[in-house]
This record gives sequence, structure tokens and C-alpha cells, in this order.
Amino acid sequence: MKISKKIIDNLKKGGVDFYLSVPCKLLANMINILEKDKDIYYSAVPREEEGMGICAGAYLGNKFPCILMQNTGIGNSINAITSLLQFYQIPVVFLISYRGTAGEPVGAQVGMARITEDLFKILRIPILHCSSEKDLEKISTFSKHAKVVESPIAILCDFNLMKDDK
Amino acid sequence: MNRFDLFNNINKILKDNLVICNIGLPSQELYKINDQPNYFYMLGSMGLSSSIGLGLSLSQKKNVISIDGDGSILMNMSTLATIGNRAPPNYTLLIVDNGTYGSTGDQKTFTNENTSLKNVAIGAGCKNVLECSGEETANVLSRAIEDQSNSYVIISKIKPGNTSTIPIPLNPILIRDRFRKFIGLVPFL
Repeated sequence: MKISKKIIDNLKKGGVDFYLSVPCKLLANMINILEKDKDIYYSAVPREEEGMGICAGAYLGNKFPCILMQNTGIGNSINAITSLLQFYQIPVVFLISYRGTAGEPVGAQVGMARITEDLFKILRIPILHCSSEKDLEKISTFSKHAKVVESPIAILCDFNLMKDDK
Repeated sequence: MNRFDLFNNINKILKDNLVICNIGLPSQELYKINDQPNYFYMLGSMGLSSSIGLGLSLSQKKNVISIDGDGSILMNMSTLATIGNRAPPNYTLLIVDNGTYGSTGDQKTFTNENTSLKNVAIGAGCKNVLECSGEETANVLSRAIEDQSNSYVIISKIKPGNTSTIPIPLNPILIRDRFRKFIGLVPFL
């Protein structure tokens, strides 16, 4: 819970006030925290691409949106990222459980893990890769950066960082 | 009545509200009738008009109308479940259902065969799901907007057919910023 709380605290410190999630075991604690938080908007959403659209609308209405998802969700969202978020220069924070990294027990997750960082590189989306608790302190400054560059940004949280966050 | 006739009919109602308009011919036809800063033209991301409008209505108080098509709703059908559970009263989804993918050459969609978007919307949990003819749509839409206590999903059954148009000659950042200025968020322009 300590890690999840730190991530949410830092996102809020960075000004993020609108949250959506497509679930992941590694995001479960964060979702629990967000569900109880009255200071921000939170909702589940069935699919990541749909979430990108809702985030775009939230930004048009002056919210600073974040979508929590697995890295697999990026595969479901490339067109929305390029032809909506990037084309209209809409800042959104992607808070990503980096499935398929060391510690991952599910083989099928490895396919997206292999290409996740390359995809962000091709998309010119800035990445903050969090593999230790210390990295989490950079989240608030990094989130604010999204508004300056008017672009989606991605925070990748390694499997091993999240798995023991009981 | 086709889409262009319908847009001419409802243009007066749209003028005072925040409008998210579907990609392709719907946006181009709306632009041709009357360009307004409070019209957000989608230049890409087919399927997401209803979602963009939902996010906007959750974030500020003005009325929001998402204009979507049957083909686009079929592409992002989970949106109806999200709307059915989360849409605030200032949200109206207008599905222009002409049974075809108009922008790509009038190929038929499944609403032309066995699929009823009305039944899907009701099953997904949407309240106030109204199916009407193109001729009835202006009335139904104004009543939906006047009702400050409920969100609506309106399915306007019209004929296929398009008007000759040009691609929207506006830069996406201009569309974004003048839209946000209309809401009162961007001080310049």
C-alpha cells in the first residue's frame, strides 16, 4: 500500500485530478485509494482506447487526466494516442503497470513488454521508468511536464516494484 | 431526411451548446452549414466522439452534445456501458443512425440488419434512450437539453446519403484552443 499511496500522492501533487482505470492486479491498491478519494474524479472504464477519448474531453474541460492501465493497453490505443491526444496536443498521464518485466509469471505478458519502450520511443512520448521506491519521487515533477510539452507522458512501474506492495 | 438535412434542422439547437462532432463527413457537413468555436471537430480517432463528450461533461457544467454515428458507436460499443453508469445530466449523445459508414463509401452497418442501438443502449444501462425519426429529432433534442436533471441517448433514424464537402480547413490546435476559449479557459486568441 505504501508504494501505491506514494504514486497517487505524487500524481496529485503534480496536479492530476481526473483518473480512469482499466484494471491490473498491480494497480488494485491504487484503484482502492482512488475510489475513496473525494478530492478527485475517478471511474473505471472498460477499454483503454475509450479512456483516451474520455481523458481528451476532460482536458478540454480543464481537468488534468490520468489513465491507469497495463502496458498491454498501449497496444489497444495507438490510433487514439496519435490522431487525438498528440494531434490536438492533449496532456494525459499514462500510469502503467509494466507487465512482462522481471518477476512476471505470465508468459503472454512478455510480448507487449518487449516492445513497450520502443513504442513510446517511436511515439516520442516521454517515459519515467520506476524500478525502485526512490524513483517515485520524480512523479510529481514529471507529471507537470506533460502540461508543458502538451503531450501524453508515460510512467512505467516495474512488476517487482509493485508486486510486494501489500 | 439525410444527415445534412438533419444538421440543418438542429443547427439552431447546437449553436448554444458544446458540441463534439464525429470524424469525416459529419464534421465536414456541420462545418459547411455553420462553423462555430463551440464545435469540436474530430479529425481522427474514429469511435471516440461519445467518449470525448462524456469526459467533457464530467469536467465542467455546460451542456455537451456528442454527435456520433452508428458505425462509430459499433466501433466503441463499451462507451454505452460507461455512459449508462457515469453520464452526468449535462450530457446528451445524439447517434445519427443512417445504417451506413457514410464517410467511407456508404457501406452498410449492422444497424441495417439485426442490431438495434436502442436495445444495446438500454441493455448497457443508459437511461432516457429515445429513438426517433430525423423529422422528430430537433424536438426530442431540445427537450433533452432543457431537462437539467437527466442525461439522454437519442438515436435519430435517417436515410443514408452525403453532401459534397471539403476537409475541415482548421488546424487541430486552433480547434482545441478556440473551443477552450469558448468555455472560458484560454485567455488569448
